[in-house]
Amino acid sequence: MPSNETTDRKIMDKKVIDISGEIVNPDNLKEESRENNNTDPNYWRSFRELHNDPEFMKLKAREFADGALDKPDLNDMSRFSRRKFLALLSASAAVAATGCSNYRNQGLLVPYNKKPEEISVGLPTYYASTCNGCEYACGVLIKTIEGRPIKVDGNPDHPVSKGKICAIGQASVMNLYDPERLKNPVERPDKINSNEIQWGVADEKIISQLKAAASSGKEIAIISNTINSPTLKKALDDFKTVYPTAKVYSFELFDESTRRSAWEKSYGNQNLPIVQLDKAKVILALESDFLGNEGNKIENSMMYVKNRDAYKGEFNRLYSVEGNATITGMNADYRIVLRTDAIEEFVYALMIEIIGREKISGFSTDSTAMSRLQKHDMTNFIAKYGISKTAVDHLISDLKKNQGASYVLAGSALPESTHIAVNLLNEALGNNALHSKDQSRISLVPLSPKSEWEALISSMKGGRVGAVIHLDSNPAFVLPSDYRYTEALKGVPLVISLSEQINESTAVSNFVLPINSMFESWGDYQTRNTFLSLQQPVIAPLYDTRQKEEIILAWNSGSKDSYNKDIYRNYLQANWRTTVLAAQNTDMLFNTAWNAGLNDGVVRVTTTSSAGTADVPATQQVFKPEAFVATSTLMTAGSNFVLLLTQNGNLGDGRFANNGWLQELPKPLSRVVWDNYAAISVQSAKALGLESSDLVKITSSAGALEIPVFIQPGVAEGVIAVQLGYGRSECGIVGKDVGFNANSLVSKGAKLSPWLYDNVTVEKLGGMHEIVSTVEHYNIEEPLLKDIQFRRHIIQEGTYLQYKADPDFLRKKHGDNEYESINKQYEHTGTKWGMAIDLNKCIGCGECVIACNVENNIPIVGKDQVQKNREMQWMRIDRYYSGTPEDPKTSFQPMLCQHCDFAPCENVCPVAATTHSADGINGMAYNRCVGTRYCSNNCPYKVRRFNYYNFRDRFRDSIQQEESFSLMANPEVTVRSRGVMEKCTFCLQRIMEERAHAIKDNRQVIGSNVKTACQESCVTSAIVFGDSNAKESELHKLIHSDLSYTVLDEIKVKPNITYIAKLRNVYETENTEAKH
Amino acid sequence: MKNFLLDYTLKVRLPILIFTVLAVFVITYYVSYAERNGVGYGPVQPIAYSHKLHAGTMKIDCRYCHTDVDKSRHANIPSASVCMNCHTIARKDKPEIIKLTDYYTKGIPIEWNRVHRIPDFAYFDHSVHVNKGIDCSNCHGNVAEMDVVSQVKDFTMKACLDCHRNPEANIRNIIPGKEDVKINNGPTNCGSCHR
Repeated sequence: MPSNETTDRKIMDKKVIDISGEIVNPDNLKEESRENNNTDPNYWRSFRELHNDPEFMKLKAREFADGALDKPDLNDMSRFSRRKFLALLSASAAVAATGCSNYRNQGLLVPYNKKPEEISVGLPTYYASTCNGCEYACGVLIKTIEGRPIKVDGNPDHPVSKGKICAIGQASVMNLYDPERLKNPVERPDKINSNEIQWGVADEKIISQLKAAASSGKEIAIISNTINSPTLKKALDDFKTVYPTAKVYSFELFDESTRRSAWEKSYGNQNLPIVQLDKAKVILALESDFLGNEGNKIENSMMYVKNRDAYKGEFNRLYSVEGNATITGMNADYRIVLRTDAIEEFVYALMIEIIGREKISGFSTDSTAMSRLQKHDMTNFIAKYGISKTAVDHLISDLKKNQGASYVLAGSALPESTHIAVNLLNEALGNNALHSKDQSRISLVPLSPKSEWEALISSMKGGRVGAVIHLDSNPAFVLPSDYRYTEALKGVPLVISLSEQINESTAVSNFVLPINSMFESWGDYQTRNTFLSLQQPVIAPLYDTRQKEEIILAWNSGSKDSYNKDIYRNYLQANWRTTVLAAQNTDMLFNTAWNAGLNDGVVRVTTTSSAGTADVPATQQVFKPEAFVATSTLMTAGSNFVLLLTQNGNLGDGRFANNGWLQELPKPLSRVVWDNYAAISVQSAKALGLESSDLVKITSSAGALEIPVFIQPGVAEGVIAVQLGYGRSECGIVGKDVGFNANSLVSKGAKLSPWLYDNVTVEKLGGMHEIVSTVEHYNIEEPLLKDIQFRRHIIQEGTYLQYKADPDFLRKKHGDNEYESINKQYEHTGTKWGMAIDLNKCIGCGECVIACNVENNIPIVGKDQVQKNREMQWMRIDRYYSGTPEDPKTSFQPMLCQHCDFAPCENVCPVAATTHSADGINGMAYNRCVGTRYCSNNCPYKVRRFNYYNFRDRFRDSIQQEESFSLMANPEVTVRSRGVMEKCTFCLQRIMEERAHAIKDNRQVIGSNVKTACQESCVTSAIVFGDSNAKESELHKLIHSDLSYTVLDEIKVKPNITYIAKLRNVYETENTEAKH
Repeated sequence: MKNFLLDYTLKVRLPILIFTVLAVFVITYYVSYAERNGVGYGPVQPIAYSHKLHAGTMKIDCRYCHTDVDKSRHANIPSASVCMNCHTIARKDKPEIIKLTDYYTKGIPIEWNRVHRIPDFAYFDHSVHVNKGIDCSNCHGNVAEMDVVSQVKDFTMKACLDCHRNPEANIRNIIPGKEDVKINNGPTNCGSCHR
C-alpha cells in the first residue's frame, strides 16, 4: 500500500498533505492509524483491550504514578539560575587562572582547647536518660557524637521499656534541633506584640506579679500535663508554700478516666493493675488498640509477641471486637466487626453465656445482676448484628477453657458501665491472676477531675485568678472546647507559657518563656513502685533557654538573682539525698549511688516512695459485685452514626506536630501521611455516596467538624473514627494547619466518654480535601489486583494448627520452584550479611521506618511529593488486604532493599554506581550515580528512592537547610543531594564499625554484633540481622527454618531478606490463602 | 586560490592548532598534577610546631598526641591541653610557647591549617589501618623529618586502591610490635569507603 507509506512518512512533517491534496491534521492521522492497528483481529490480549476500554488503555499506558514524570517546576528548583551558574563558572575560572600557582585550601582543623575526657573525635558516647514525650517515661539511650545527640534508642536496663521506644521517642532528636524552637524569653504586654527580654527582667516582673496575686488572695493556676517527676512535684509543692494561692492542675487529652472510675466503683480504689499479657493464652480486645495507641503500647506489644514465636512455646490467641479498624484488630486471629455502641450489649451477652449458662464464677453473683442480664442473649445478638457465630463460639469456649489465663481488655474510649461489666467478667473468669503482684503503677499527681477544671474556669471568668502558668502544656488546644478556655483566659491578668515551641497557649500569653528539651534537662521520673528513672542533659542548651523546673525554682526563691545553671541539679540531688537515696547517708555513698543511677538511667527501689499513692497489692483487691448491680447500661446501639475519637500514634496530643518525620510516617492501616481523616466503612460510604477525600460534616452533641473521609476497609457500618491531635493553628511552619482539629468534637460532659459519641450525624459536603496515602487506594475487589499478594506468593500464610500438623506445609503448598537461575552463584565464603523478618511478630507499627530515617539522614519531602510517590523512606511497611472490604484480613510486611545476590539493579546501571560486595551487600556509591533511574525501574521490590529534588532545600522554605538541622545529621552517612538514587544499605556504617572493632581486637567479624537501626528499634524484635554464613547464629537458624520464604522467589534474584510466614492461630485448618 | 587556502588550513594550521591545544593540556595536566592532589602542600601554621623536633629528635610516639588514631576513624589533633602537659614547664619562655600558652589560658582553640584531606564522600578509618600495623609514614611520609608538615603522597582513590589491591608492594613500614599481624588485601568494594 504505497499511499499508506507516504502518509506515515509525512506524519513527521508539520504539514501533511492528503492524497486528494488537502492539508490534514497529523494528530487525526495518528489516531486513525492506531485504530487501524487495533482492528487487526490477530493481536489482542483481553476483551477489554479488544474493545478499547478507555480505563484499560489508561492502565496500560501507565507506568508511573500521576505526576511522577512531571517536568520539574522551575519555581520549585533551587534559585540558582543558569545565568548565575555561568557567571560563577567564569568567575571561578578567572580566579583559578590568577591563583593557579597555589594549592587548594584544605580548610582548618580545630581541636578542642581542653578536650573532655569522655570524648573521642569520631566515636559515639552513649548516655542513659528518660524520654518525656508522654506519661510513660520510657528509658532511653542517647547516642552523641562530639557532643551532639544524633540518635535515641531504648535503654535496655529500663525494667518496663526494656530497650525499646516508640516512634515519637525515636524522632525526638528533631525536636531538639528544630530551628523554630523558642530562643529567648518574650514579653507580650498586650498579648499581641512581642518583645524579647532578658531572663532577669522576666523573672523580676513575674515574681512581683505573682507575689501581688498571692497577697491579694487571687489564685495562681499551674496547668501541666501528667506530673510523673517526684522532684518536680516537690518543686511545685514549694511553690505552693511560697505562693499560698497556687493550685496545680493536670490534664491529658487521652487518659484512663473511664477505666479508673470503673475500677474505683468495682474495687474501691484507683490502683489500676499491670496486666501480664505475656501470661495470657487468650486475649479479648474490646475496641482496645493496646498494640497501637492505647496505654503503654511498648510494654503491651512486647508482652503480646512473647507468645507469637512459631518456634518457641505456644501461640496465644487474640480476639478483637471493634468498630474502628486498628492494628490490634488487624493483628487479631479472630476479628469481629461490631459497632462500638453495641459492645456493651456484646459484653452482657458474653456474660450470660459464661456466668449464666456455663456457671463460671469465682464468687456468688447477686441474682439481681443476673436478672439484669436475663434479657440479653448471644444467639439473638449474633443474628441482630450478623457477626460470625463460629468466632463467638470459639471465644466463649476459649475463655471457658483458659480461666485465669485469659484477659478481656476494654478500650479507654468505652464508657464506665462497660468497664465495670468487663471487670466483673475478668473477675468471674479468675483473670485477676494475671495482675502483676510485685509491680504496681504510681500516679504521683492524679489528673484533675472535671469539677476542678470547671471551678477554675469559673474563677478565671470571675476575675478570681491572678495568674495562669502553662507548665509545658497546651490547654488552649487540648482542653475540650466547651470549657471555652481561651475565652476565660481573657479575665486573667498574667498568663505565662513555658514552652519549647509556639503553640495555641503561647499565643494568648503575656510571657512566653522558652524551655529546654529533654536532651538539655535534668529530671527524675516515677511510674512504677519498683524503680525511678533519671534524666540527664547530654548537650548544653542550644539557645537562651532554661528547664521548666529551674524557672519554678527561681520563682520560689523570690529573687531574680538566685538562678544559676546548677540550680535544679542541686535541688534534685538534695531531694534524692532525703528520699530515694536516704540510705546512702555519706557523700561518698551518695555520689557512688547517684553516678550509678546516671550510668544505668534507672534506680531500683524496694519501698514505695512516700510521694506515690498508697499501694494496694493486687491480691487484696476485692471485687464488689454490687457495683455491677448499681450501674445502669450507658450504651445502647442506635441506628445513627457513632463517633470514635482516637489517639494518634504519631503526634501524641498534637505536641509533636512540628516534627516532619512523624508527620510523614504513614499510619499503619491507611498509610495516610500529613493528615487526619474520618475513617468510614465501605457500606456507610456507599450509602452516603462518599469517596475518599470527600469532605463531610460531622455533628455530635459536642460540636461539628468538617473533615475529609477515608474509606477504611474493616470499619463497622455506622462507625466514624477521627484521630485527635491534628489541625494545630499556632505551630511552626511544618505542622501549622496540617490536618483537622477534631478537638472541637470533644466534650467535657460527654455522656459515654470524652472519646465516644452516639447519635452523630454525618452529611456530605460539596468539596474535597486530597488525602494522600502511600498505598494506592485501589478497590480490593478489582480482579486484576485482588489478592495479588497471595497469587504471587509475596505473602505466605498459614494457620498454627496447619503448622503443628505438618511443619513443612508451606513448602508443600508452594512447592520448590523448578526453574534454576541463569546466573552462576558466587561463593560468599566469609561473612554474608542477611536479615530475617518474623511476620508473626511484626505488628505493622512502623517504628523501624522512623529509626531508619534518623540513622540514615533521610529528609522530609512533604505531602505533595508523597502524592507523587517520591517519599524517601528507605523502609516501608507493605499492607495487604484480603477477603472482603467489609471485613478484610490484613497482612503486614516490612519491605526494604533485599540485597539480592543477583541484583537486577546492578546489571542495568550504566556507570556501575550500584555494585555487589563480597559480603553480600548491594552497595550504592552516590558520587558515581548520574541519576538514570534504570536501577529503580529494574528493581522488582521497588525499594530504591530517587532524589528528584534536593528535598532539604525544597520543603517548607528550606527549613531542613537551617544550621541547627545540620547538627542532627549522622556523620557516618552521606547526606545525599539532588539527582542521585539511594536505598537501604543494611546500615553499612554499623557494619564498618563492627569491622573496625574486629580488626582492633584481632578477631573475625561477628555478625550478631551488628544491629541495624530498624532491628534495634523493633519493639517486638521481629527483625534479626547478622551473618547468614555463621552456622550457630539465630539468623542462620531462622533462614533455614520451616516457615522461611523469600519474596518473589520465582524470579531467582536470591534476596538476602528472609521472611518467616505468618501463622494465624485459628481453629480452621485452612485460611484464606488456600483458596487461591 | 580558494582551494589552496583550504588545503593550507587543513594540512598545516589545523594540525598545529590541535597539537598546541593537546600539548598545552598534557603539559598543564602533568605539571599541575601534584598541586591538584595537594602533594607538596605544607601551609604555614599558627604555631611553628616542629614534628622533626618532637617526633624525630625526642622520639615521642605519634600516639602520645594523636591518641585516637587506633580507636577512631579520625586521628585527632591534640588539644592545647595536651601540649601543656609538658609546656607548662618546658621552654615556657620561648616565643612560640608563649603563643601556645596564650591560646591555652584564654581558652581559644588553635586553628591549624589542614594538610591532608580526602573528600567528604570517602570514609577513611585510621584505626583500621593502624591496628593492622600499617605505619603512619606509609601515607604521611616521614613526618619525623619535617619541620613543617607537608603532604608527600597522593591522596587519590587510585592511591588507596593500589595499596588495597597490592599491599605487599606498597606498604613499606610496619608499626614495631605489629609485624606478625597478617595484612590481607584491603576491601575494594565501593561500600568500604563510600556510604
